[in-house]
Amino acid sequence: MTDPVRPLPDAPGVAPGPAAAPSPPPPLLDADALARDAERLEAVWRGPRGFWGWLTSVDHKSIGKRYIVTAFLMFLAGGIEAAMMRAQLSGPLRGLIGPDRYNQIFTTHGSTMMFLFAVPMMNAMGLYFVPLMVGARNVAFPRLNAFGYYTYLVGVVFLYVSLFVNTGPDAGWTSYVPLAGPEFSPGHRVDVWAQLVTFTEIAALAAAVNIIVTTFKLRAPGMSLNRIPIFVWSQLVVSFMIVFAMPAVATASTIQLAADRAVGTQWFNPATGGDALLWQHIFWFFGHPEVYIVFLPALGFVTPIVETFARRRVFGYTAIVLANITTGFFAFGLWVHHMFATPIPELGQSLFTAASMVIAIPTGVQIFCWIATLFLGRSRMTTAMLFVLGFLFTFVNGGITGVMLASVAFDKQVHDTFFVVAHLHYVLLGGAVLPLFAGFYFWFPKITGRMLSETLGAWHFWLFTIGVNVTFFPMHILGLQGMPRRIYTYLPETGWGGLNLLASAGAVVIAVSVILFLINVWVSWTAGAVAGPNPWASSGLDWATASPPPVYNFVHPVVVEGRHPLWDTVGPLAVLTGLRTDRREELITTTFDALPDHRHQSPRHSIWPLYLALCMGVVWIGSMFSPWFVLGGFALSLLGLLGWGWQGSRASGPELVATPHDLVEAS
Amino acid sequence: MSPRVDEPLVEQRAVGDLSLLPTVTFGSRSLMWWGTLGFMVIEGWTLALIVAMYFYLRQNYDAWPPLHTPAPGIAVATWNLAVMLVSCVPAFLAARAGKRLDRGAARIWVTVLALFGLATVILRWYELWALNVRWDTNAYGTAAWTIVGVHATLLLLDVADTIGLSLFYWIGRSPVKMLSDTNDNSFYWYFTVGVWIPLYVIVYLGPRLFG
Repeated sequence: MTDPVRPLPDAPGVAPGPAAAPSPPPPLLDADALARDAERLEAVWRGPRGFWGWLTSVDHKSIGKRYIVTAFLMFLAGGIEAAMMRAQLSGPLRGLIGPDRYNQIFTTHGSTMMFLFAVPMMNAMGLYFVPLMVGARNVAFPRLNAFGYYTYLVGVVFLYVSLFVNTGPDAGWTSYVPLAGPEFSPGHRVDVWAQLVTFTEIAALAAAVNIIVTTFKLRAPGMSLNRIPIFVWSQLVVSFMIVFAMPAVATASTIQLAADRAVGTQWFNPATGGDALLWQHIFWFFGHPEVYIVFLPALGFVTPIVETFARRRVFGYTAIVLANITTGFFAFGLWVHHMFATPIPELGQSLFTAASMVIAIPTGVQIFCWIATLFLGRSRMTTAMLFVLGFLFTFVNGGITGVMLASVAFDKQVHDTFFVVAHLHYVLLGGAVLPLFAGFYFWFPKITGRMLSETLGAWHFWLFTIGVNVTFFPMHILGLQGMPRRIYTYLPETGWGGLNLLASAGAVVIAVSVILFLINVWVSWTAGAVAGPNPWASSGLDWATASPPPVYNFVHPVVVEGRHPLWDTVGPLAVLTGLRTDRREELITTTFDALPDHRHQSPRHSIWPLYLALCMGVVWIGSMFSPWFVLGGFALSLLGLLGWGWQGSRASGPELVATPHDLVEAS
Repeated sequence: MSPRVDEPLVEQRAVGDLSLLPTVTFGSRSLMWWGTLGFMVIEGWTLALIVAMYFYLRQNYDAWPPLHTPAPGIAVATWNLAVMLVSCVPAFLAARAGKRLDRGAARIWVTVLALFGLATVILRWYELWALNVRWDTNAYGTAAWTIVGVHATLLLLDVADTIGLSLFYWIGRSPVKMLSDTNDNSFYWYFTVGVWIPLYVIVYLGPRLFG
């Protein structure tokens, strides 16, 4: 097969040899022609209008926005639950919430924040921005993307309806057996938890496969592996982690816990050879990587923000990428440090202590790289940067208590106390939520076309960061004083009242700051300053298109000549023309060097993702009540699979086929 | 609410033309192959975790299968393994026909593969009962049923996929893209069969050979 890309002076990946005679630069594309192409692309990529169009959309930006909004609503729901708990714990023997309701609230708070806010939010940011940053028109599997979102949405609705009918899960977000098993948790509360987990894991896996293939195959020509933006690297590493972590929890929750409860399997019943500790192993084999699945994408937000506002290329690109990958590997070797209070052999304890301390090193490398970048650059202080600095301070505190907890002797002292609660909130709020807010301030202009208010943003930042520290710092001391986690009240004689009141006051400050953020979003979205394509003079391809981006993202695939496309290119942007404008066509490039390989036809709008997600809802929710729902749901989903496959097998227009042997035209 | 900014973006110069690139490719060049690979990794890893749990629970027993639990019957399972291995021939021929753009042959071999698939699913039903233990009898029964059962769901999905593909070949005009999908369908079938070989050894032969 001959290479159909015509020889070009600046063909991506081809270094001009010394013999190559300098050729005149190619002419600029005519502005009218660009506008005509844009109009045709708009007609082809835009689905039907109205409600039907909304239900059938497979555009990654449309799905990504819904994901972000839904996940943020879950952050608010989890926050309201947290506020209720802080109200109840603000003094000894408060009677606001009884023990049964309190169990449901803290379980729903943890499950919401981990499964319905943190992971989906990080996936959502990836699904929205990875295609833009690699210069693609959509994700690799747009219908799978929509299916993932709807599956997640079914899980969200399911959990909250259950909570309101007094069937909220109540065995903790970790649902340890035997407490969560059929003997000690009769009824459907734990079933709700088990199926909720299944929904979100399927959604996360769909997102992960999409991000991996989008990153490997849909990159802009010239964006070889060593030029991938660090945001995308972190999403890629996390997607691989999801592929290996989520099957563990899906197995644990569906095949084991739900089956033990519904059909009498004996995984966790010691009387018949089962093993309760098996649950902890499988759960934490997922649960520890989960922390990094939430946290690595947040580190990915930090790099482009630091680069943009330090006005300097990041210090140590390679070191940061390697640190990401190393963290991804190590994250799977630490899970036993959650189980130091169980009988673990001494050698095992030492190994997992060492591993838990070692993982601080690659994270430290990233932090030093950012500090170096800030030091060497000329920093411009914006709200996004404030949040990054707040992240560095708060997260390092959480990291240090993490190293403390890696020590077995110390861990046994504070196991299941508020010290652990303090640690995990410093890590998750400091390491994930603060960078997330930084990301919101940074990318809000791209998503909506308008700037957020910097004044309100500064207020939001200071109140939020102070609130987090006032709420969670006292919990370290409470933990050291022996206050156990997951209790609904305590006696006045314990002396824990003062610090608890302080923590509750901090929670009020957090709440005020989040309300300020919501006001900021509302006001800015309706009347904020118009942003333009690249308001921060940033360097990534996401800023090379309009704000908000058109439905097809880019009129022509951009040729990338370095790690910072908009900073590296002097003069007009180099693009490749020739993709069809009468059907949804996108450019597929080679995995390593991102050389143009072939044109792929992206699927049109489709109702089948929503239909199949609802079928899965019938299967998983129905399985709590009768196995017939499982059979019925699968039967219904066969129709959806057929429709999906039929739609996918249709191609419109002439084809040019590259078989392994030949290149032929076909229709 | 969002402002539409239709200003001309950065100026662009065309440095190449893509209109002669192929639109349908085979194997690792095509997106569907990568998606298939992704799901193979997820499913293979799930099975690996379940096998790890099987051996974890093995530590709780002196004998395997436990006392008073009969060993699994191997006749049906061995027959089914043979059927699966033979079914790789039509899978290979379907993939080859796809790569040669021979729609007629691809249609026939995909259909033959679907029939083989149906046979393995039917045999799988008897294979489950040949375990000679119920899933709720003890942890051994639970683990053995889970390994065979989870693989059965992969088998079902794969067979449903193959039946769907052969249906599309028989009704309506089949676009060339389906020939590439046929290649990926065979790729997935090899995985489903290949991953079963160690599982067969562990669940059916293991208790008899190693106790």
